[in-house]
Amino acid sequence: MSPANEPGPTTAAVQAVNLVKVYQTGGLPVHAVRGVDLRVDRGEFVAIMGPSGSGKSTLVHMLGGLDGRTSGEIWVDGKRADTLNESGWAILRRQKIGFVFQFFNLVANMTVADNVELPALLGGSTPRHARERREYLLGELGLADKADASPAQLSGGEQQRVALARALANQPQVLLADEPTGNLDSRNTRDVLRLLGEVHRQGQTIVMVTHDARVAGLADRLVTLLDGMIVDDGAIAPPRRRTKPGAGDVVELRG
Amino acid sequence: MLTVLAVAGILGALITAATLLEDGTNPWRGLFTRGNGAHVWIHTKDAPDPATLKALDGVTDVAGPYRSAPATLVQSGKKTPVALQEMPAVLPAVGRPIVREGAWLDPDVPAGVVVERSFAKATGLRPGASFSVIGLNGADHALTVVGLAESGDQGFYPDWTPGLAWTLSATLRQVEPALGRSEAVTGLRLADPDATSLIVQRTITTLAGQVQRATTWREVQASMELDNRLLGVMLALFGVAGLVAAALAIANAVGGRVLAQQRDLATLKSLGFTRRQVVRMLVIEHGSLGLLGIALGVLCGRLITAYTLAETVVVPLSSAPLVAITCGAVLMVLVAVWLPAWRGGRTPPIPAAPSAPPRGHLSRMARVALLVRLPPALVLGARDAFTRRLPALLTTFGVAIPMMMITIGLGCWATLDAFRSHPEQVGQAAALTVRPGNLTSDAANRLVLGNPDVVASYPGTEVDTVVPGQTRTVRTRALGTVADPYPFSVVEGRMFRERGEAVAGQGLLDLLNVRIGDRTRLTIGGTPLIVRIVGRVLEPEQDGEVLSVALDSLAPKDALPPQYYGVVLRQGADPAIVRARLQSQGLEVTQAVNLADRLSVIRVIIVLLVVVLALLGLATMLTASALGLRDHALDLAVLKAMGLTPRQVMATLVTGTGLLVVLGVGAGALAGAAVSSGLIDLQGAASGIGAGIGRSPGAATLLVAVLTAVGAALLVALIPARRAARARIPVTPR
Repeated sequence: MSPANEPGPTTAAVQAVNLVKVYQTGGLPVHAVRGVDLRVDRGEFVAIMGPSGSGKSTLVHMLGGLDGRTSGEIWVDGKRADTLNESGWAILRRQKIGFVFQFFNLVANMTVADNVELPALLGGSTPRHARERREYLLGELGLADKADASPAQLSGGEQQRVALARALANQPQVLLADEPTGNLDSRNTRDVLRLLGEVHRQGQTIVMVTHDARVAGLADRLVTLLDGMIVDDGAIAPPRRRTKPGAGDVVELRG
Repeated sequence: MLTVLAVAGILGALITAATLLEDGTNPWRGLFTRGNGAHVWIHTKDAPDPATLKALDGVTDVAGPYRSAPATLVQSGKKTPVALQEMPAVLPAVGRPIVREGAWLDPDVPAGVVVERSFAKATGLRPGASFSVIGLNGADHALTVVGLAESGDQGFYPDWTPGLAWTLSATLRQVEPALGRSEAVTGLRLADPDATSLIVQRTITTLAGQVQRATTWREVQASMELDNRLLGVMLALFGVAGLVAAALAIANAVGGRVLAQQRDLATLKSLGFTRRQVVRMLVIEHGSLGLLGIALGVLCGRLITAYTLAETVVVPLSSAPLVAITCGAVLMVLVAVWLPAWRGGRTPPIPAAPSAPPRGHLSRMARVALLVRLPPALVLGARDAFTRRLPALLTTFGVAIPMMMITIGLGCWATLDAFRSHPEQVGQAAALTVRPGNLTSDAANRLVLGNPDVVASYPGTEVDTVVPGQTRTVRTRALGTVADPYPFSVVEGRMFRERGEAVAGQGLLDLLNVRIGDRTRLTIGGTPLIVRIVGRVLEPEQDGEVLSVALDSLAPKDALPPQYYGVVLRQGADPAIVRARLQSQGLEVTQAVNLADRLSVIRVIIVLLVVVLALLGLATMLTASALGLRDHALDLAVLKAMGLTPRQVMATLVTGTGLLVVLGVGAGALAGAAVSSGLIDLQGAASGIGAGIGRSPGAATLLVAVLTAVGAALLVALIPARRAARARIPVTPR
């Protein structure tokens, strides 16, 4: 699933340089992100953790261009992206960035199949290619029989799997996931995480925001944010699949 | 808010239109109200005591008595009888003429008179013109016109003769010194306008044999009434269509709001509200807005008629039509509100999962779209347009109906233009009618034909005809001869070719219940005659109840000498100039009033209606686009995250509403163009003129109208779309 033309190791998949975000709400400036430097290499799976309000969602939204930055630089696939206008960002997202949200955000008036095909069609694929890609992705995610269903008819886990399929439809450079399991029960969480792990093994770069340590344990590297600043950034040992997950994970990680 | 404004606008325009219409079809009411007219005018030999008359039960005020004397107006050799009536230099409280041009009588200008406007128009008098009158004793007096005035106390000239001129009493004494040759005119204003006959009886008794004659407001009103059925039929059509479009717009707006509130309604129901309570709540909420709109509209309508039209003689609408319009609007608003409210009442307590979206539409459409390289925004917008079937249908109809009516309005306009540019096609080939006056008819005809602008002149006579089964008479027009027939506009059958054949207007065919080819027995001017009706002509006179024959079909005693000549002018000649020239040669010339001029009030109505209908269409549009925004804003934010540029988001939304509008406008324009000439013909047939007058609006006009409508709609759709382009990704569950 990784792009065919693998560039040199020097280009990061996505990189933030001294990124700052200040919200001006109600006169008082709120510093959501204060000078974050983050480099995500190709094929890396980075988990961003932190308590509520630490700026992790804002950071990911800025990396995907959904939110404007106040200052700093953003580089996507070796190209400066923070100077792009909204349309430029849109085209960049179309080609290189996939998004998964906590609340799935499927297009309610389209079928599951249309939801997955749309990004590919937007990106300029032929309808035939888009259909094949959709069939492949839904098949992989175990949703082949739900192709003609409405998103509202699906369970939360199924919806999130559709959202994942949609994010992967264009074979993006980077997959940005904002609390992808935040709204799911443990069984669905496990399913979605398994899928994320699979695509990562196939070479997909993933940046995932979560506040669940167990979820973060799936990643190669853990970045911890506090009050808009990186307080900890370190690699995690390749996770050994445990049959009985428990609090020990956290202890082990922190340790 | 939008609903309130839309309803207010519609009602205001309706009231203004109805006011204009009432005044356009009968100016009496305006004149009477503005002049505080007297309901009864009593003509007596000697001046009665006003105090006695005022003491009569039911009489609130008295005007006069004024002295009135007959005289003869002499103007470049032509003599016209005129009634001179004294009036004080200070306008009285009751029965005052309304000065429209120049000034009122002034004691410093003793030779000044104020001439009644329709009379002045007929005789060509303008303020500042001088003329002379000959009293009954033969003495000649030079007088000057100081002003023209209108009055609701006497009908228009020449329906109401003699013509009227107001003078100061001193001037009247000069012209007619003998009191015995004049009469006294006294106006009575009544408490109850319907009590005229009773009051007249009482006055006759009170004045014991003094009363020579009495006229009442009813006679004046009847003489001023423009008996124009075509106008009535056209207006009724526009009114009904306007109401239907308004109802659609309201239903659409309320429906949109109910949809927007659906979640709250569900919550209310889960709290234990019954279906009936929900419906009642919605009806009260939206109905009160609608009623507020109605109240505003009535107020606006009255203000508009009271202030903007204050310069003219228009007076606010009388109560009956006002009440009818208001009640109709209230009823319409309630029905239009109740239907969506009923639907809202059926909202389930837990919102059901939305029904499955159309299967595979996107893929199929996208494939086609990609083949022709359509941008994705267009595809998505087109798809969005039809996700909600019912609102989509309502929107399309809500736009199509006003557009259809606008097209029909344009068709009416084109028809009026055709009347004006081709009067010969509606039976008005002769621009002038020349009466010999004191010349012999042959000499007159020679004079007429000597004019370079005259193409042809046809001798003619009009006689009353008794038709079977009718108590009243109809008019028979004998014009042209069998050998040299007048160019009637025959639309069915053929022209008469021999004696005993005739053509008729639709009105007469309906009246006699005959068809083309039938024979009918008539008594024309006292001579029984059997005629065969061989054709139908477009007949603008007398509601189409006119029989046209050749002059030589009539008995010689009726036919000779011809009463008048119908004069056809060269194309492009100005009838007014030719008329003036012929008049200077001593002929009596009247100019045919073009049908379009008689219907000119329709043009005002058309403009008003187009404005109202455009507003209605716009209201529908705004509702649709607000609904579209509400439905799709979240989805569009998601699409943005998936890589849709802001411009594409805007284009998607504009396409979503624009497509429906384009469909509606297109369908409306097509339907309007298809039915307009047929509909106008139907109106023509109903009004007696006859089918064959209808014209479709010109292709260029229609194109401009369609483009304007679509352009305006897209511009309006752009406003919410711009807002949508800034939509953020939702971070809370829906």
